[in-house]
Amino acid sequence: MKARRHVVTGTAASGSTRREPTARKPRSASASVSMRPSGTPSRPAPAGPVNGAAAGLDASAPVDLSVDLGRGLVLPNPILVASGTFGYGVEYGDVVEVDRLGGICCKGTTLRARIGNPTPRVTETPGGMLNSIGLQNPGVDAVIAKYAATWEGWRVPVIVNVAGESVGDYVEVVRRLDGIPGIAGIELNISCPNVGRGGLQFAIDADAAAGVTAAVRRATDLPLLVKLSPNVADIRPIARAIEEAGADALSAVNTLSGIAVAGSRSKPLLGNIYGGLSGPAIKPVALRIVYEVSQVVGIPVIAIGGITDIDDVLDFLAVGAVAVQVGTAIFADPTLPVRLVTELEAACRSRGHASHRPLVGTALPKRASAPSSRGVEYRP
Amino acid sequence: MRLVGAELLEAREILPGQWLQTYHAPTLATGSRAGQFVHVRTGDLSGLVLRRPFSINTADLATGTITIHFRTVGRGTEWFTHLRPGDFVDMLGPLGRPFEVDSRSRHLLLIAGGLGMAGVRSLADEAIRAGRQVTLLFGAASARDVYPTSLLPDEVEYVVATDDGSLGHHGFVTELVPQYEGWADQAFACGPEPMLQALSRLAATRRARMGVANLGRRRGGGKGDVVGSPAARRKAFLQVSMEQGMGCAVGACLGCVVMATSGVPQRVCREGPVFASDEIDWEGTWGR
Repeated sequence: MKARRHVVTGTAASGSTRREPTARKPRSASASVSMRPSGTPSRPAPAGPVNGAAAGLDASAPVDLSVDLGRGLVLPNPILVASGTFGYGVEYGDVVEVDRLGGICCKGTTLRARIGNPTPRVTETPGGMLNSIGLQNPGVDAVIAKYAATWEGWRVPVIVNVAGESVGDYVEVVRRLDGIPGIAGIELNISCPNVGRGGLQFAIDADAAAGVTAAVRRATDLPLLVKLSPNVADIRPIARAIEEAGADALSAVNTLSGIAVAGSRSKPLLGNIYGGLSGPAIKPVALRIVYEVSQVVGIPVIAIGGITDIDDVLDFLAVGAVAVQVGTAIFADPTLPVRLVTELEAACRSRGHASHRPLVGTALPKRASAPSSRGVEYRP
Repeated sequence: MRLVGAELLEAREILPGQWLQTYHAPTLATGSRAGQFVHVRTGDLSGLVLRRPFSINTADLATGTITIHFRTVGRGTEWFTHLRPGDFVDMLGPLGRPFEVDSRSRHLLLIAGGLGMAGVRSLADEAIRAGRQVTLLFGAASARDVYPTSLLPDEVEYVVATDDGSLGHHGFVTELVPQYEGWADQAFACGPEPMLQALSRLAATRRARMGVANLGRRRGGGKGDVVGSPAARRKAFLQVSMEQGMGCAVGACLGCVVMATSGVPQRVCREGPVFASDEIDWEGTWGR
């Protein structure tokens, strides 16, 4: 059901198959007021600075940050933690209140256990870091056995990030995850080499990306996110192909491919030579890709790429993301994602919004560009 | 593990380019054990995105302070040297697993190479408090890099080796070990990986070289002890504190692994940084 995949905007009852770009919707007072719990009297604004006279939200007014990704997956708020930066959600212990997060994308999970790439695996770079972990993980069965029960007890949705070397691998992992209590959704990491097709990454080819998405779609009714790679010439045809193959949402972007050189200058630094660049250094690239993708697809886009503060979150919402994933910044500040939830709430309130949805897509072109049928032209 | 704001009380350049900083962090001072470390956030100097891990060099329960000892190797460590007393830093800790000392061990041999001193330094304090005897073998490039005796407890027997012979034994610190391994009940080491590898070889052949008969219970081979468990490590003659480039330091990112003899990479930040020497795959080429 395509209609079920819409971001629920509280008042929207659109039958269109495309997400209504929020920016183009007039922000009417009635729409905002209707978000209030019924029976709440319209109180005079407190002394604090409150914009949006129409809404007149006071400091205690509830702000609805929920995000509906379809198929029953409703995130309590749009601040998620990105795969690979938060383990299985348990590692930070009491330091992070996981139940206040919008979602957890767990470490990439494969069919069989993987020992990963040789060390060194991580290095800091200007404004970011390179990593080449190589998908070290104990395999899907061990992940389920070890963590699913814990996840079931949490309020925060846990989205299992799935990787594989063949379509069959992906499908089998997802089959095993299907129906396990505690697993709220699937995020496909398609930036893996397709061994069956000469090591070509699924993510850089629209047909391969759509193929694996469609195969996984047939294998499960779990909400399905597909994570886009930035290492492509034009992301739009790939994003559209993945949407048409049945993905419920897109996450953008995975890391940028890069290398570092060892201090001796005698070889590349990382054991795997190549690594993925993440952190603030990639934010402009991620913004550009979210900007492009959100204009050509109707499914929700979840932005990832160098988020370190609330302004970064607002930037990504402005270019069309309905939610964001915080990644590398967690290493410096594990409490950042939870703090961003509070700060986003405050940002909505100070603008007089009863939810963050009016902030979505405000920087997109005011007139909808027709979805490109060819998607071949590339505007740098 | 918790996040604490730690106030810098004192900073000294104890050796050229090497600093000793004292921070007020009562929960870390009381809640940590020798071998554990802290992960400290740097100021955002145009985009340093990772914290820096430091061994807890010493912990003083009475004053609620810990010290860290580091060499300036880049912009991150450089930033720490510009801190002034009264400045606060954000510390995550205590992290990792500590050295495990067998309750029957009376004589502890500590072996440190260069900055590896920071890894074993607080074990000297802990052992002396527990009434154990400690010999500390220290190796450095030359006399100018030798850790000052004044910063060690009086009870420690301190033996120095320098590569250029400018102080103490002329040669590697590992060459001093055979004189002490008969005396020692257990050994604990931190330093460059080739040094740890050499020590590991010595430890593996120790009983044979010393002609010790295998009577009664053998150390390190206890049945029922899971490899890597505190009980198994307590029975190992040699424990090593490993170093690896680190991301999260809590076990989430899998950046800082070392290959184990089990074939599964182990996280330095979580299963380590202290390992029994026979847990590590020293001979393999993986990651080397």
